[in-house]
Amino acid sequence: MTTNQPGTGLWADAFLRIKKDRLALVCLLIIILYALVGFLAWAGLIASDYSAISNDSYAAPSSAHWFGTDIFGRDVLLRTIHGTRIALSIGLVTSLIAIPIGVTLGALAGYFGGIVDEFIIWFYTTMDSIPDLLKIIALSFVLGRGLLSVYISIGFTTWVGLCRLIRGEFLKHKSRDYVQAANAMGASHYRRMFIHILPNVFHIILINFSLRFIMGIKTEVILSYLGMGVEPGQPSWGIMIDDAKLELARGVWWQLVAATVAMFFLVLAFNVFTDALREALDPKLKNK
Amino acid sequence: MISRSNIFIALAVWVTLLQGCTRKDDPQFANYINEPVKSQVRGLDPTISASDLYTGLVMGQIYEGLMQYAYLERPVKVEPLLSDGMPEISKGNLVYKFKIRKGIFFHDDPSFKATNGKGRELEAADFIYSWKRLADPAYHSDGFWIFDGKVKGITKWREDAIKIGKADYSKPIEGLSAPDKYTLVITLAKPFPQLLYVLTMTGAWALPHEAIENYGGEFQNHPVGTGPYKFRSWVRNSKIILDRNPNYHDDHYPTKGEPEDMNRGLLTDAGKKLPLNDGVIFWELVEDQPRWLNFRKGETDWVEIPKDSFDSAVKKDELIDEIKKQGVELQKWTEPDLTFDALNMEDPILGKNKYLRQAMMMARDSAAVIQKFYNGRAIIAQGPIPPEIAGYNPNFKNPLKVFNLVKAKELLKKAGYPDGKGLPEFVYDTYGGTTSRQLGEFFQHEMAQLGIKIKIHDNTWPEFMDKQKKRKSQMFGMAWSADYPDAENFLQLFYGPNGSPGPNASNYNNPEFNKLYEQTAVMQDGPARNAIYQKMVDIVAEDCPYIFDAHRKTYTLNNGWFKNFKRNLINLGYIKYYRIDQQAKKELKPKL
Repeated sequence: MTTNQPGTGLWADAFLRIKKDRLALVCLLIIILYALVGFLAWAGLIASDYSAISNDSYAAPSSAHWFGTDIFGRDVLLRTIHGTRIALSIGLVTSLIAIPIGVTLGALAGYFGGIVDEFIIWFYTTMDSIPDLLKIIALSFVLGRGLLSVYISIGFTTWVGLCRLIRGEFLKHKSRDYVQAANAMGASHYRRMFIHILPNVFHIILINFSLRFIMGIKTEVILSYLGMGVEPGQPSWGIMIDDAKLELARGVWWQLVAATVAMFFLVLAFNVFTDALREALDPKLKNK
Repeated sequence: MISRSNIFIALAVWVTLLQGCTRKDDPQFANYINEPVKSQVRGLDPTISASDLYTGLVMGQIYEGLMQYAYLERPVKVEPLLSDGMPEISKGNLVYKFKIRKGIFFHDDPSFKATNGKGRELEAADFIYSWKRLADPAYHSDGFWIFDGKVKGITKWREDAIKIGKADYSKPIEGLSAPDKYTLVITLAKPFPQLLYVLTMTGAWALPHEAIENYGGEFQNHPVGTGPYKFRSWVRNSKIILDRNPNYHDDHYPTKGEPEDMNRGLLTDAGKKLPLNDGVIFWELVEDQPRWLNFRKGETDWVEIPKDSFDSAVKKDELIDEIKKQGVELQKWTEPDLTFDALNMEDPILGKNKYLRQAMMMARDSAAVIQKFYNGRAIIAQGPIPPEIAGYNPNFKNPLKVFNLVKAKELLKKAGYPDGKGLPEFVYDTYGGTTSRQLGEFFQHEMAQLGIKIKIHDNTWPEFMDKQKKRKSQMFGMAWSADYPDAENFLQLFYGPNGSPGPNASNYNNPEFNKLYEQTAVMQDGPARNAIYQKMVDIVAEDCPYIFDAHRKTYTLNNGWFKNFKRNLINLGYIKYYRIDQQAKKELKPKL
């Protein structure tokens, strides 16, 4: 018998749950807004003259400059908008690097076990025994400064957590009936891992993506503040906060406020949305 | 979980802690100078920390050399300190004969076992010992350059020590001898007109071998000298206390100064025996804000106004009334220094094209840099030689040191790169730190107006120095501060053989300039030498290996009770002249 009832599979169910959660929707909207601003700035459609210097140093917020100007008379609002582009690109690119590494290694370790597992555990434990920030700083010394090296250094050092989770899930799933059935039908290792098991653990990847997106943004801010992040001249939020450190003594607060507020709402929206996502996707939390 | 009551508790704890930080005035330190130090102090060993200015400021109160700078006279000049009168100088300026003052004793210290801890009398041999120690490769002293190649035989002595692996202190140095206890003869390999200047410097001070043998590596924590102050205690990264040396030799406040010194009250103590206070506490205050706030509470006697506190203290070049009413005084000092952007002359494009460098010079708006970064406290540098230095010419105007984009663009066209077309992207190196990065960003913007693309590379300080030493930097911003009051100290920055890792950071090498430099290096100060100096300045102004920026001024504030303050960064033994007006301190401190 056929019905027109909407399916209540994992994803459809999650979608319905999130739709009911007002706060999560607002947060999603905020994230989309940031993404839009970031995209438009990247395309050069808004805030393109963020580096234009004027004689109006340290002008207070006014109708001409909503967030005032900095030491060289550059508009802080435009710099904050461009900072959004940099922050989002870092969140995105580092995730695109870290997640495939974490998922692949985790899947291999969990699925094959034995010596493969041991090797991968040894590898990520070694990686994990060095504090992240030190690893990132060390890598950025080797690669030199700039956006590219920030992408690489954050991307290649922050996959361990996800790798652990995925390994655990694969361990659990590989002995389940549906995988055994696939095995009986002659499915290859590759097919069992990526066609059968992976979709069943995909929600973990999604939640993790959202979490490490925030982590990437925060790390960039810290690195730039320490003078090891993006190339000087680029208006990243971290560089803005670094500038503000000296300006505060003369009562110039607007650059600090603009950068922190921009970061605050993005990180908050991501955090709330990630929580909602987890509640919607995680079977253990679903029925609370 | 943060709740409101938690926040209140935290606040209460914080306030209590803050109160705990305020010092009660300890009567034993009533007549001590409270001196702020801007940087962390390293070990107090003059041989090892020879080139560290801030450590030198502390050691300069404990140790002394043959010569010192006159405290009040300007332009600064040298006068004898441990030397009994000026030395006898032979014809040809090669042999200097010093008489050591009699009756100068080292501080009492348990190291002097022969005299039961009483300080021993200073002898000529102490200088020879100390300078051998400076040359001893085991100490890796960065202060050896003051004698290297200049005192006859000292470089050979050092090379022999490197060969054998150990310095032999019993082996004589040809150019250093002590015919009797109070006579020291220095023989030079070639005339060195700056010898008397370098004898005031850290590396040339007298050290007692007994203390070095007794303390070994711990000598840096047990300094023993002949100076006006004795070491008492040191809390790392916090404070160093020195007490007046009760046996300090006969030393008096100067009776001569600049004409206006009389009106400024700097000659009130003329002729009095030094030191004029009971001791000094050096406060290590590295961060701008704590240093500023400590001064404003009256915890230190004076302070340099930090860039970001400037606008809250000084309006229209004058101290604001609110602070003036508290008895605080503003003083302005021109520093013998130079800030610049160096262009590496070994770079295949920058080094080969004079017009390109000239275009960059004309695109540099130094007036804007001075406004934005030094609160207007600097003058535009026309050439390398700063004011207050023998050889400085106040009438010299560099025809290229004018901010003019139209002319700069013409020059760039002449260079073969109209509007920057055909030029690769240059890399401008900065060293970690917000201000350095901002300076780089401003340079990048200025060059962009010409069409020259600049990429900023932010380095750590060691990375930055390393790149320079290996001649890998294309361009970078730097400052040079005088070691001694002679223009030679700034002109050597362009002498070919001084190229990196030496001080010639742009690796400029012009045979004509080199010849003139060698000619003046053995000449005494005077109009003849100044005329050649001007020729040399003209050459580098035309060639532009540096984009000259500014000679900075320092604005200091001092409390009303703090007397006899006359700043001179190359004079290290200055605390002995300071005096606290006790009456004024009682009245003024509660007002802060």
